[in-house]
Amino acid sequence: MGTEAMEVDAATNLERKQATYRSMDERFEIKNEMYRGQQYSEIYFIRLHSIRNLLNTLAQKWKPHLPICTVLGLEKGKECILIGTLYKHMKLKPCILDEYSKERSAVPIVKPHNFMHSDDQLILEDESGRVKLSGTVISPSFFVTGTVVALHGNETNAGDFLVQDILEAGLPPQIELPLESSEDKYVVFVSGLSVGSGASNPLQFQLLVDHITGHLGDDKEQVVASKIVRVVIAGNSVEISPGLLNGQTLAAKDQSRLYGPIKELDIMLTQLAAAVPVDIMPGPSDPANFALPQQPLHRCLFPGASVYNTFMSCTNPHLFEIDNLRFLGTSGQNIDDLDKYSEAKDGLEFMERTLRWRHVAPTAPNTLGCYPFSDRDPFLIESCPNVYFVGNQKKYDTHISRGSEGQFVRLISIPKFSESGVAVVLNVRNLECHKLSFSTQLQF
Amino acid sequence: MREAGTLDILGEIHALVSDKLQVVSYKWLSRNFSVSSNDAKRILQEFVEQNGNGLEIVYCLSGFLKESSPVYRIQFVSGVKLAEAKKQFEDNCSLQVYSVQACVPKDPAAIWNAEFVQAEELFDQPSTLDNCLRDNRFCGVSNSFVKRNVNGPSLGVAPPLSKNAAGITISPKVSNAPQTPAIPQQKAKVQQSSLKSRQSPTVTAPVVKTESNATDSNAQARSNVGKVTAVPANKKKVNEKSSSGTSGSLANMWGRASVKLKPACAPETNKDVQNPIGNLVTAEAQICAHEAMDTLISDDDNEDAQCVSHKRTSNGEGKRKRQVVFDSSDEDDFEDAVNLASPDPPKKNSSPISEINTKTLLVEKKNLNFESPAEDQTEIKQEKTTERESKLPPKEDEVVVSLDKTNGKSVKTLDPKDEALVINKATDDVSNSTKRKRVCKTRIDDRGREVTEVVWEGEETENKNTDKKDTVTETANNRPTGAKKSPAFASKAPSNPVGKAGAKKAGKGGVKDGKQGNIMSFFKKV
Repeated sequence: MGTEAMEVDAATNLERKQATYRSMDERFEIKNEMYRGQQYSEIYFIRLHSIRNLLNTLAQKWKPHLPICTVLGLEKGKECILIGTLYKHMKLKPCILDEYSKERSAVPIVKPHNFMHSDDQLILEDESGRVKLSGTVISPSFFVTGTVVALHGNETNAGDFLVQDILEAGLPPQIELPLESSEDKYVVFVSGLSVGSGASNPLQFQLLVDHITGHLGDDKEQVVASKIVRVVIAGNSVEISPGLLNGQTLAAKDQSRLYGPIKELDIMLTQLAAAVPVDIMPGPSDPANFALPQQPLHRCLFPGASVYNTFMSCTNPHLFEIDNLRFLGTSGQNIDDLDKYSEAKDGLEFMERTLRWRHVAPTAPNTLGCYPFSDRDPFLIESCPNVYFVGNQKKYDTHISRGSEGQFVRLISIPKFSESGVAVVLNVRNLECHKLSFSTQLQF
Repeated sequence: MREAGTLDILGEIHALVSDKLQVVSYKWLSRNFSVSSNDAKRILQEFVEQNGNGLEIVYCLSGFLKESSPVYRIQFVSGVKLAEAKKQFEDNCSLQVYSVQACVPKDPAAIWNAEFVQAEELFDQPSTLDNCLRDNRFCGVSNSFVKRNVNGPSLGVAPPLSKNAAGITISPKVSNAPQTPAIPQQKAKVQQSSLKSRQSPTVTAPVVKTESNATDSNAQARSNVGKVTAVPANKKKVNEKSSSGTSGSLANMWGRASVKLKPACAPETNKDVQNPIGNLVTAEAQICAHEAMDTLISDDDNEDAQCVSHKRTSNGEGKRKRQVVFDSSDEDDFEDAVNLASPDPPKKNSSPISEINTKTLLVEKKNLNFESPAEDQTEIKQEKTTERESKLPPKEDEVVVSLDKTNGKSVKTLDPKDEALVINKATDDVSNSTKRKRVCKTRIDDRGREVTEVVWEGEETENKNTDKKDTVTETANNRPTGAKKSPAFASKAPSNPVGKAGAKKAGKGGVKDGKQGNIMSFFKKV
């Protein structure tokens, strides 16, 4: 800075706060995985096995007088507990053959549509067999294929299982937090930047960057900005016109349309990374692999930002700790898929269900693309996070979820920034959340 | 002094705004005149007070709104509406002049243009240059933990090794720290693993060349051995290359390739001791070192060629590596994914080498115990050979010969014609129902899968695992083995003939204990 600046700025030379960070994304990385031609049965088996072990213990406390049976071991009229994976038979679920028979359009965007129908049926399955579930206690619109539950009921004459009660795994155990720091430290969540899309407003993004880095505003605002310890970008940071991605060679003049958005994003990320640690997660529209867990965006996409030690390219889902607070989040695919195949009043409710089912993406691999893991299911939630966030949702929302053993989770639904101009700020000290809203509309 | 400086700037702003009709935002000002952004805001404020008339001013109002749920809002306001806007905010909101312009563009985003052009210019400067964009020097908030490391490829190594994409060490609880020393080690592994065949014409690329020589004919087996040890790096690279870009192994390969190669060779190959082909290990090290020396000189010269060659060879490498990876470390699961069909189909392949492969393997088959785990070596060789075959027609003969040699035994005496005969014979043997019968047995194994075993009379056991839930896929013939060879990456599939299925299985029990050819024979030949 020039000497002139020094005189005045010495007083306001703020130093950004720091926080400890630990990334736990190894579980979501597939670089060490080896595909042997295995099928998805393996991941289902592991899922069933893991959650069943939990449910076995829980079921004994829940209804200790009832025996736990396998499906084939059912006897008519005998009340028992069944533990297995749910399968929902859906009439309207799109079939791959239907998709191929339709003419392929230039825009490969699948319109999100809810495929529920009143005739949907639930079936419980374990290694020995499957049985249809009946009764009003269990509602097909609540569950999806892939959830593991324990059911109390009995076999009817019709051969199906009449459900009397349901037991879910519930929130996983949470590590006790010593509420130590009295310092306000903020984490900013943003998703759906969609740089390069028609809907995005680059000025809004610039304002976000300026605010977080501390360029914008007066001293008060800069003090606030200096307390931001991390920025988490939850997917869909870039949007490249699908017309450019149809597999044909691009003319030279079109190539700039391809890398333009990414370069713009890189410039913005450079500005961010030069000031504050940034985690960037891939999303459905980002140049990353399709199936979950999405692997980190390649560093070569960000030649400017990736040379900073503050720049972290992360997987989706993303699991990390800041100051011993556990954060778990996705770019939205898990919740959006639940929304297609089941019903809830809002995204937060879906999020809570995934926590109670102890699985981040229960519909994977059924309707959500997923890697066929054979020795583990990385989406199982073993330890309850303190903050659970989902990106690219319709609107900002937040809620606290409490578990039966005192677990405390802050659920955050992050809206698409390009549409709403809203980011989310979380205070690490007390897990309180507020909206960070930008508007460049001058016609006030 | 300061006053004069500021006056100059004010004059310039006036010129820019009035004459050039440019939007002057505080950020642009700060970068252009090298003042801090806080200063720039003050200057703009002064400007507005002095010459604000006739010009449009955009203010930025930020603060918490007077709402029940906390919303921190950052809002653009034009001068006229300022007072009104302020009412929506809590009292301690902050106000600054964002920009001055002759007139406000219809699309507010246009305000951003000049600033972005400037940012882009700064961004496009050579990466070794530090500028105000990169070090954020004009910001009111500084962060001393930010480090910018421009040493190219070395940073690219980080992702595979540690969590950090850009070099933050993850020792738990530490947020920012310098890169781990594990990186060179990983690089070394990568170098070793990046040995490739000679088919790349850009000989100058050290990685390629080294690999090519190392994997040449007889040495192929040994290079495979070397690769086996670098399995984790291999796998990583394989996956990375094949998947839509995950980490920086590409950078690894050609950045520090040759430099590390030499030292890497020795430690890598030393690990091969566990492999049965022990005596070849040192030979590989020799070859490695030899090649490394040769190529070190050319390393610095042709980075572009490196890039290109890297790209080209990476496909092949990826293919080959993947095979190596599979075979070496997936031994016990091997049986699971083998096809159900009898090992006949492979012979359909026109490539003489693959015929030889199958032939060799089939010939060996009778002597094999299919359950034995350490058969991967032969297989690696077989597949490597086949793989290379598809790319190196001229080298066929060499490979054939070497294959014979390395496999030893009865293969040695065969030439292509005879081999064909042998193949047919072996085929007949296998499928001929007079010799043995296929018996199906079904059971449920401990993983809940229905396992159908096809048992040949005392000779062979092939398993087919069926998914109990979903439709049984006709994976028997093609998918498990085809998939094994080229997992999920269709582009690789064609290069892996189905024939490998049988060949692989048979080859498994192959030559692990067989007499290996002497490496010196390779040198004599050449």
